[in-house]
Amino acid sequence: MENRKRMSVTLLLSLIVLVAFTFQAQAETYKMGLSLAITGPTSDAGDPYSKGVEDYFNYVNDMKLLGDDKIECTIRDDQYKTDVTKRNFEDFLDMGIVFYLNYSTGSTLALKKDFDEVKMPTIPASFHAGNLDGSSYIFLPIASYSAQAIGLAEYIANNHKGSGTPKVAMFLHPSAFGRGPLEDVEKAVAAGLKIEIVEVVEHGKDLDNTAMLQRLESKGVQYVISQTIQSPVATMLKDANRLGLVAKTFGESGKITFTGCHYTGGNDLVSLAGPAAENFYWTTSYIVTSEPGPGTDFQLALAKKYGRDEKTANSHNYINGAMVAQVASECIIRAKAKGKKVTKESLYEELLAMNGSNALDLDTTVGPVTYSETDKAGVDTLQLYAVKNGEFKSVGKPFIPEYTGKIK
Amino acid sequence: MSTNRWLATGNYFTSYEDEQRIFFTHLDRTILILFLFLLFAWPMLFSLSNKYMLVLDNILIAMVAIIGLNIVTGFAGLISIGHAAFMGIGAYTLASFSRTLGDSHVVITHAWPLMIVLSGLMGAVFGAIVGLPAMRLKHLYLAIATLSFQMIFSWTINFLEFFNQGQTIAISRVYWFTGKLGRNEHYLFWYYVLLVVVVLSGFMVRNLLRTRYGRCLSAVRDNDRAADAMGMHPGLTKVYAFGLAGFFAGVAGALHAYVYRGVGFESFTLHHSITLLAMAIVGGLGTLNGSFWGPTAIIALELQVETLAEHAGQILPSDWNLATALKPFSFGLVIVLFLMFEPRGIANWWRIVRSYTKLWPFRY
Repeated sequence: MENRKRMSVTLLLSLIVLVAFTFQAQAETYKMGLSLAITGPTSDAGDPYSKGVEDYFNYVNDMKLLGDDKIECTIRDDQYKTDVTKRNFEDFLDMGIVFYLNYSTGSTLALKKDFDEVKMPTIPASFHAGNLDGSSYIFLPIASYSAQAIGLAEYIANNHKGSGTPKVAMFLHPSAFGRGPLEDVEKAVAAGLKIEIVEVVEHGKDLDNTAMLQRLESKGVQYVISQTIQSPVATMLKDANRLGLVAKTFGESGKITFTGCHYTGGNDLVSLAGPAAENFYWTTSYIVTSEPGPGTDFQLALAKKYGRDEKTANSHNYINGAMVAQVASECIIRAKAKGKKVTKESLYEELLAMNGSNALDLDTTVGPVTYSETDKAGVDTLQLYAVKNGEFKSVGKPFIPEYTGKIK
Repeated sequence: MSTNRWLATGNYFTSYEDEQRIFFTHLDRTILILFLFLLFAWPMLFSLSNKYMLVLDNILIAMVAIIGLNIVTGFAGLISIGHAAFMGIGAYTLASFSRTLGDSHVVITHAWPLMIVLSGLMGAVFGAIVGLPAMRLKHLYLAIATLSFQMIFSWTINFLEFFNQGQTIAISRVYWFTGKLGRNEHYLFWYYVLLVVVVLSGFMVRNLLRTRYGRCLSAVRDNDRAADAMGMHPGLTKVYAFGLAGFFAGVAGALHAYVYRGVGFESFTLHHSITLLAMAIVGGLGTLNGSFWGPTAIIALELQVETLAEHAGQILPSDWNLATALKPFSFGLVIVLFLMFEPRGIANWWRIVRSYTKLWPFRY
């Protein structure tokens, strides 16, 4: 009797241990990789971006959004060097990642063939439309730089107050990142968009833009579309302000209205340009923290939870990183819900299926994230913002540029 | 000559030819042969991840480039701050074929040894042209002239549509006797190619230094007027030093393009030129083996610091950004320390080790 009792207890304990270990074995870790410039060129954007990615994946793990499963994202600094990005990517592949997050335009273009070869779903921080040419595995998080520049050009054409065709100058970063949208804006003009591009400026590292601005003024330029990073725009705005060239209202006659794409704006621009940033028009697909709402609340709460400073918490690049992590996490959640094994193949399928009723609605973006075989840009909708009293405030409703479809 | 050809206990040179031997003892030759055998054989015994194979390939590419830089800056004493641009000339020679014929054209994928040599020759032509000011300029002025070449190269690549304005120009995988290389064997294949190139380049330069052309380089470096008086042509020597350096850089550039399967401007910037110069200094300027030590040390240091930064990042609050500052800080510190305490570079440590073992066990 005693022996039988002892045997039953032993059996029961063994069963408990077996069940416990079985459940423990079921908890999985999904590996991802992010290679970006935390130091070096463009690190002012890369640093908050990396923190956004890191915090959102920590949030997923801490809130148990994947149950007992976890996401382990290795973040590496590549100092904006393509060679280092390539090495990091090879390392991530050796680690067995199921999703890859890249950063710069240069490295995305350089590694495009690798992504396709290893069939790795990839979301870069670069919104360069050229990333998508000849690639099946690259997905842009939001509308491309081209779509943003065309969106700004359309807004100019529709809201120009003077007579005749509005004269526009393009102010570009001297790289693939900067030059990307020019050709598409020119195509849009050829397709009937009523603006005239009178000058294309590729800026250097000038500390003074007086000569350039006076030249633009003499050519009758009324609008500038910028596709670059914040610092050259801040220099330009300060000089324009000193020369009294900045339009106080959109399209003010005899003045220049300055506009820019995603990486030209945000709080960093206001810090750099100070009062000269006033009336700068900027487009992005993200909600900014100066606009109250659930997106802003989420962004600030996330940053607070992980002890980020105020600058990072309010950065649009912080939410840019968090949003990309959100998309990757959502793919895992959906794959798991369908009972699929989480692999790069199943996550790729989930990305392609993210459309129609399966579109991903986020509080932090102005429109839903949609992907398909033919649409590799996530949020197609854009929002125009303008600096008013030192803060970016929405101008009008979110919109989808009309000419991006026309020039395809 | 020593009676024991295996372990010489001193210098027993009785003729100039004797002193110019490549290997002083049989032991030297045997060790080198064994070492080379190991370098060729280890991949057959165990496999390394793609990341580390890429790192090894990178070290070997840098070695080829540094051999060139050592000829011009180490042996001939002419400062060059545009060496990455010469590498770029080689890479963009290949890229030009890719742009004109297509990245998968047979010339690129099948005739790749020819393309590598051609890229080297193009590097040599540009090297010789850039070397022309060396006939009249010296020291800092010459450094500025080479810096200008780096600037002109940057501008040309960044603004010309033909070069894709600096964006990556794709280069296809090459073919070998077994067919088109796959992703898995890519880095290993290039490891062997690079190893052959490094060994050949090493012997080439070692032999060059035994000839009158090689001795001209040192003579011009030490005193070009004295060299002139001795019947040498300092101007021509300087131009050919630049030409030869350009050749090795061009070869390195083409190899870089093949390994990375693309050519982009970002790999040939001024920053890379400075890094190459740092590798040459750390390795030991004016020494052949310094060309091997420098790239190995700097790239290994970079990797170690990266790992350290990653660990530090897990411990330190990420808001401090201390971990990310480690890499540039340690790189700068190593250069400064070497310049202060070991200006002859790691090659000098090798020399000390060799002189220690030379008379072993009766060391002096």
